[in-house]
This record gives sequence, C-alpha cells and structure tokens, in this order.
Amino acid sequence: MFRKHTFLLILTVLFIGLVACGNNDAGANNQGNENGSNDDVVIDFMHLWPAGSSRQHNEIVQEIVDEFEADHPGVTIDMEILGNEQYRENLSVIGAANELPDVGMTWAGGFIEPYARGDMFTDLSDLVTDDFVPGTAEAYEVDGGIYGLPLELNITPVYYNQAIFDEHGLSVPETWDEFKEVVQTLVDNDVTPITVGNRDAWTGSMWYMYLADRIGGPAALNDAISREGSFEDPALIEAAAQIRELVEMDAFINGYNGLGNDEAKGYFINEQAAMYLMATWDLPEWTTNDDNPQEFRDSVGYFKFPTVEGGAGEINSYVGGPGVGLFVSEQSDVKEEALEFVSYFVERWGEMSVTDAGVIPATTVDTEGLDLPQMYIDILDDLNEATNLTLYADVQMSASTADVHLNMIQAIFGGEVTPEEFAERQEQALSDED
Amino acid sequence: MNKVMSNKWIIALYVLPSLILLGALVYIPIVMTGYYGMMQWDGIGEMNFIGLDNYVHLLQDSTFWFSARNSFLLALFSTLSLIMYLVVSLVLSGKIKGSDLLRKIYLIPMLLSSVAIAQLWIKIYDPNNGMLNSLLRTIGVENPPAWLSDRSTVLIAIFIAIIWQYAGFYIIIYSAALKGIPASLIEAAEIDGATPLQIAWKIKVPLISGVIKTTVILAIVGSLKYFDLIFVMTGGGPNGASEVIASYMYKEAFGRYNFGYGSALGFALLILALLTTWVIQKVMATKDDIQY
Amino acid sequence: MTVLSAVGEKNSLKRIGYAILYFVLGLIAVFQIYPLVWLFFFSLKGNAEIFGRSPFALPEDWLWENYARVWTSGNMNTYFFNSVFITVSAVILTVILASLVTFAITRMNWKLNKFVLLLFMVGYMIPIHSTLVPLFQFFLNLNLLDNPVSIVLAYTAYNMPLTIMILMGFYRTLPREIEEAAVMDGCSVHRIFFQITLPMTTPVLSTTMIINMIYNWNEFVFVNTFISSDRYKTLTVGIQNFVGQYLTDWGAIGATLMISIVPILVAFFFLSNRIVEGIAAGSIKG
Repeated sequence: MFRKHTFLLILTVLFIGLVACGNNDAGANNQGNENGSNDDVVIDFMHLWPAGSSRQHNEIVQEIVDEFEADHPGVTIDMEILGNEQYRENLSVIGAANELPDVGMTWAGGFIEPYARGDMFTDLSDLVTDDFVPGTAEAYEVDGGIYGLPLELNITPVYYNQAIFDEHGLSVPETWDEFKEVVQTLVDNDVTPITVGNRDAWTGSMWYMYLADRIGGPAALNDAISREGSFEDPALIEAAAQIRELVEMDAFINGYNGLGNDEAKGYFINEQAAMYLMATWDLPEWTTNDDNPQEFRDSVGYFKFPTVEGGAGEINSYVGGPGVGLFVSEQSDVKEEALEFVSYFVERWGEMSVTDAGVIPATTVDTEGLDLPQMYIDILDDLNEATNLTLYADVQMSASTADVHLNMIQAIFGGEVTPEEFAERQEQALSDED
Repeated sequence: MNKVMSNKWIIALYVLPSLILLGALVYIPIVMTGYYGMMQWDGIGEMNFIGLDNYVHLLQDSTFWFSARNSFLLALFSTLSLIMYLVVSLVLSGKIKGSDLLRKIYLIPMLLSSVAIAQLWIKIYDPNNGMLNSLLRTIGVENPPAWLSDRSTVLIAIFIAIIWQYAGFYIIIYSAALKGIPASLIEAAEIDGATPLQIAWKIKVPLISGVIKTTVILAIVGSLKYFDLIFVMTGGGPNGASEVIASYMYKEAFGRYNFGYGSALGFALLILALLTTWVIQKVMATKDDIQY
Repeated sequence: MTVLSAVGEKNSLKRIGYAILYFVLGLIAVFQIYPLVWLFFFSLKGNAEIFGRSPFALPEDWLWENYARVWTSGNMNTYFFNSVFITVSAVILTVILASLVTFAITRMNWKLNKFVLLLFMVGYMIPIHSTLVPLFQFFLNLNLLDNPVSIVLAYTAYNMPLTIMILMGFYRTLPREIEEAAVMDGCSVHRIFFQITLPMTTPVLSTTMIINMIYNWNEFVFVNTFISSDRYKTLTVGIQNFVGQYLTDWGAIGATLMISIVPILVAFFFLSNRIVEGIAAGSIKG
C-alpha cells in the first residue's frame, strides 16, 4: 500500500513543483509599480532600535529622520523597526528574495561579504570622510569597496568591582602574572574572579583574542584569519593554553558554558563576580542606567587588558570594532536620495549619539565641553592613544568559519580539546574556505 | 454506505479548498526547498546548480548525524512521556474531585510562549543561583552539575523542559477522548464489579487506542522538527552538544548563509520524518485501521 | 463482624490511596502553575533583581510601572487587536476546513482518501523554517506581503495537518449509526455534516480550537517575516520590541508576556467549559 501511495505522492509533488516554477516569472514583474507614479520620493529605511528596548537610540533616529525630511521637501522616510535578532533573520529572508530596503543596517566583516559580492549593497567609498576613526570604515571593506558606514565604535576593557578589589587588598594588574595573582587571591577568598557568558561564545572569544594579541602581537591572529599566516602559530596555541590555565585556576564563574551574556552580566551587577570583560556598549550600565544600584555603579572601574611578559602585544592595543553601520541597497530606485540620507545620518549621529544615547560613534568626538560621565571621557581619551584595534574574530571571519571558531572557544573553555587541537581545527576550517 | 456518501462533487467540495491551500503554502515551498538543496547558494547572490552534492555531503556530515541522534533521542523521550500523560488523564477521568480544574491547570505551561518558558528554565538551571542547584545544595549535594554547561547533562535538562511544556497538550487530547466514551459503558462495567484499574486498562485504553496512536505520531514527528526551546536555552551548545536537526538547519541557512545546504537539511528532515512515520504505522498497524 | 472490619479496612486503605493520589495530582498542579506565578513576579522586578536574586523571591519593590511603561509605549492596542483578529480568523477557518476534510476522509467513500490523508500528514512533518524563503517569494508574487491575509492563510495551512490528525482519532471512535440512519432518512450530506457530525464532535472541536488558538497567539516567525508595518503586527512580535541589543528591559518583557497571556487564559477557560457543555448536550441527543 505504502509504495503505491508514495509513488502517487511523488507524482503529485512533481506536478505541483512544475506549476510552481511556471508561476514564478509571471508574478515577478508586479513589484516595480509601488513607488513609480508618485512625485514624492519614499526611502524605505530599516533599523534595529525599537523604542521599547533602545529608547534613546530610537529617539535620535526619529529626530534625524524628521530633520532630514524637513530639509528635503518631497522626501519621506518610511521606517521599519525590528529587534536585533529579528532584524538579522528578516534581512536574510528579504535578501534571498531580493527585496532589501533602500537603506538599512548591517554588521561589519564577514557579515557583509555575501551582500557586497552579490551586488546587493552599494559601494559607499565616496562617502567615507576623514571624520571616521581610522580602521572603522575599513571593517566594512570587501574587495576594495566599502559597503557600510559605521555608526558605533566599541573597544573592550576589563570592568572590575573596586569594592571587591579593595576588600581583598588588590590593585589593578598591569601584567599577566599580576592578573593571575589577583585571580588566585580572589579564588582563595571564595570570590568568583571573572564572569563570562560563554553560551554566547563571542564573549569567551574576547578573552582568547586579547591573549593572542598580547602574546603574538596584533598580526598573529589577523594573519591567521586573512591566510597570510597560520592558526597553528605558537602564539595562538599558547593563548589557548593560557585560557586552559585560567579555567583550571577556577577563574571563571561556575557553569560559564551554559550561561548567556545577560546572565553573566547579572552576576557582575549583583556583585557576585569581580571582573567582566565586555565592550564599551555596556558603559551606560555602569554610569547612567538607573536600574542598577548607585552604589554598584560607583564601584565599577575598568582597566586595560594586561600585557604578557615577553609577548609582542602592547597595552594600548584593543580588541573591538564598529557595531552596526548603514548600507544602501544597490537596487534602490531612489539611490541618490538614499546616499544623501546616509551621509546626513552619519554626520548628525556623530554629533548626538554620545551625549544623548551614550554610544561612542565611529566618527571622532571632541570631548571638550561635553557633559559626560568620567568613564566616557577616559575611554574616549584611551581611544585617541590606541595603537591598534583588532576586529572581533567572529566578525572578521566568514559566517561558517566564525561558527567553528565559536564552537572551539566553547570547547577550549570546557576542556574538550587541547590547545593544539583548538588551533588545528580552526586552521582546517580557514584553509577549507580557500 | 450508499450513493449519497460517494458523491464526488461533495467530496471535492470538502477536500479541495484545503488541499489547494496546503499545496500553495506547504507543498510548493517544500518542493522549492528540495530544489534549493541542489544549489550552492548563499541566499543572496547567484545560485549554482550542484546536483546532489549537498545531499552527499549531508550523508558524511558528522554534525548532521549527531544532531539527528539528538532529535531521535528527543523523540524517544517524548514518546515514553506519553505514558505518564496517559496515566494522569486516566486518573483525571475517574471520580476525582476538581478534575476539571486540575486539567486546566496542567495546560498552563502550553499557554506561555517558548521564549518565556526558556527564560524560566534557564533560571531554574542556573548553576549558582538557580532553583535546582539551591535545592540540591540544601539536601547536601556538594558540587551539583552546571546543567546547561555540561555536555553530559545538557540534553536531559532540555528534554525535561520540553516534556514539561507539552504535558498539557497531550493531557487535553487524552481527556477529550476519554470524555467521548459513553458513560453507559463504564456504568455497565461498574455494575459487573470491575475495579477502576480494570476499567481504565480494559475499557478506556482500548477505546481510545486510535487517539493514542495519533499522539505517538504527533510526539515523534513533533520532536524530530523541534527547535524553539533548545535554540533559546543553549543555541545548540556547548560546542554542539545539544544540536538538533532543526537548529542545525536554521544555523546553516540563516546563520552561515549556506542556504543551499540549509535547504538540503530541511528536506532531509522531511524524509526522515516520513520514514519514521511509515515505520510507526507498520509497527502499530492493526487490521481495523486505515493503512497508509 | 469480620466482614464489616474487612470493609472498614478496605475503606481506609482506599482513603489513603486517594490521599496519595490527590497529593500527587496537587504536586503536578504546583509544577504546572508555577511558571505563571514566576512570570507574574518576574514582571514586577527590575533587571538587577531578575539576574541577581533567586527566581523565587518576591519582588523587592513591586514595579507596577513596568506595566504602565509597556502599555503606553505605543501600539499595544493595535497589536492586541491584530492578535485577536488573526487568531480568531485562522482558528475558525482551520477548524471548519479540517472538519470538512476529516469528514470526507472518514465518512465518505472514495478511492484516494488514504492518499489524501497521507498528503495532509506530510504537511505536519515540515519545519516552518525550511519553507520560509519560498513562502516569502510566494506572498511577494501575490502581493500579499505586509497583509494580515498572508498570516491567516499561513496559520491555517500549517496548523491544518495537526488539526486533522487530532480530529481523525475522534472520528474513528465516533459511532456511525446516527449518520447511517440519517442517510436512510434521505438527509443530504451537508445536513449530516453540519447538524449531526459537527455537534457530536464538540469536545474535540474545543480541544483543537484551544490548541490552534495557543499556537496562533504565540506564533512569531511568520509575522516577523511577512509583516513589515507596525499596524499589522501582533502582540507576540510587539513584545520583541523590548528585547534589546545591549540593554534589555526584562521586567517590561515579563509585563508584556503577562498582558499577552491573560486574554488567552480567559479564552481557554471559556472554551474548556464548552467541552463539558458539549458532552452534556451530546449525551442528551445520543
């Protein structure tokens, strides 16, 4: 019985398939008419800062859009707003159906590659001005073109709880050995030294990247990823071994591989852990966010990731990168206006974002006369002294290699692989790409 | 029966609208997916036809087989848990005070979206502040496992959450079926001196065997394509330990932009579900049933 | 005497048995109702409390403003109405179409019925994420994107297989005598379906309605993919506006979840009472 029905099923499926394929072309022509007959220009703009979760970001965007519309009569901006994860998923579906909005938001590095190579995003090289912090716009470079204009810039300091440090007579470590002593003292006193939410393995990756940078210098990891070098570089293996050493010292919070970043951060906010390595996008949490107790916020400080004795990295080299940036769709019928909107947006955003939303923009900020929490001023000053900015590894890599990298980060933290295997698997994944 | 019940026009009238709807929204898309499965496609640029390469690769992909193993384990657990649900439903169908209210309470987890349920269970399993480990520490366990972080416990921890989520679903199906049994049958048995246990086992269970069979298929197929809670709770980690077919497919298609391979995985999932259903039908077939 | 004491012993044994039974049932009830209580407390807490302290603790300050913030942050009314509209339309459409199909497959005589049933079962086996892109293209071609009709149709199509399978189990156990008698009396098929079969299946119809309702109300992926303007979005998708990129307002998310659960809870209690009534009505007719 089954066989006969299976056969019929296959026949039906094939028949439906034929009908489907035949229909495809017929419908495809209907789309062009939506904007055509209007004199007014409508720019579709998709962003990922809903009022509910990113109120300040959302308000700035609204303000910029209103200003732009006032300055440009006849141009309307039609906004669609989605939360972060939804935005990502939605972009891949509408990308596959070739229905991108005129202007939207994108991430740097590996994320834009398929869009740039598939002629979906416009080359924005002409819009890149001197205002951008060096290295930020380059993170959106694919085959010599720049396909996104960065809005944010983040570096990654180690935040620490001064109250806990004082209680145990600790001072800020400047070298890796000092750092390990701090960790050991905390462990001996039953305090969790470091909280990390390695279920979101990009958080563990930050620890690894810093060690790689401090041991092998910025070139080691970058070259491994760009294929000018190898992941089996001794410095990269040694960095993994250092992670193992930290794990064996019980430096990280119990159950780190099952905790998400939000939960891990919760331990820090709740003063159950002394240190937390995270990007500067969390600055508002330690300064202006009234949800967190004042007493806690007052006790948060930060330090630069310590240097490793004999290593090639310097203290002013950072792991970090631009967050989201703006793209313009290659197929936009209002490209001219869209390009104008994008450069207008970047300029106004640079002026407003740091004071109004606590975001460090990718364009240079003059701290003179700005009313900002001290921690911002310090970070902005540090940025001016930065000697290097290494883009987050999972952002640098293509999506599928990034996945291998993140899995390996969980594996090395979890003790499932040796440092050598850790390097070997990633080398394999990287070389498979070529 | 007779001619009235064989009227082709009426049959078409009743069946065709639904069939056309499913054809357009379910069958055509899945055929397209099978077709994309033969492409090398990042979802954005050009598609390259590569024939069955994706499917061949899939057969050799250890991640796929590992996630398939996890999916089948989940299916097994879900099926076994049906026994528990059936027992509860049978008890509730007896002379229990407040059984209606209890049934309603049991369904409550179903009402919550998976995101909320995942958040709850993440809090329960939190290795340091969580309910489970606090409880274990109180009763003297010194180093309770970090459930979601440990490769050896992560699967069972997630399965328990899923089984808990679906309890109400199966209980209301069983309960509705048990309510459909004519009261006269039960009364007759009681007069003959049958114990509640005998009534449950010898009368109620056989009478709803059709429904039980359906739930077995629902549980197995539902488990094979299950995704929600796992994705929020662990993202398939740590290091792939809790990956299931659907989460793997999602990651390939929407995370890594391997749309072609992701589609092949989706199609393979359908084939696996079909094969499994066929096997279940064979195993559970009785002669009064419709043979598929 | 001996007989009497034996009976007494049996009774006390029985009583202990029942006590244990009720205890177990009660325990399960606590397990199942707990999430709602948890969510309620959760919705009244601030971020620090949610991540720091025990999930069982009562809120320190009861932050009712979480609710106020959610409700006033725009569009909740619209989201709510959309959710109701889409859920109700899809549930009705699904249950009617699925009943017609199940009736035709189990009660009417035709050769392809098993094959058609198989087709519907295949529908249940398809994970929605694997059809998302083709489905998007399909709605795009029909100009149904950003139109609630696409959502209602998609819900109907994707829930129909499950609904049919549940209905099927019941139709098979349903006695055919009444319908056969009606045929003898010269009833038309439509009358048999609408006036005899449909009323007889009230309990299972309520069950499938509840299940469909829950699924549609909580559904997320389709709305997120096919609907772009705010005025057509549903509550479940609206909630996601509170899940932030860097800072997430978990208390507010809890409040939105609570707001979204209350209507479905009410509808559920109403519908499950209908099950009881349906049986009462059915047994009178029977």
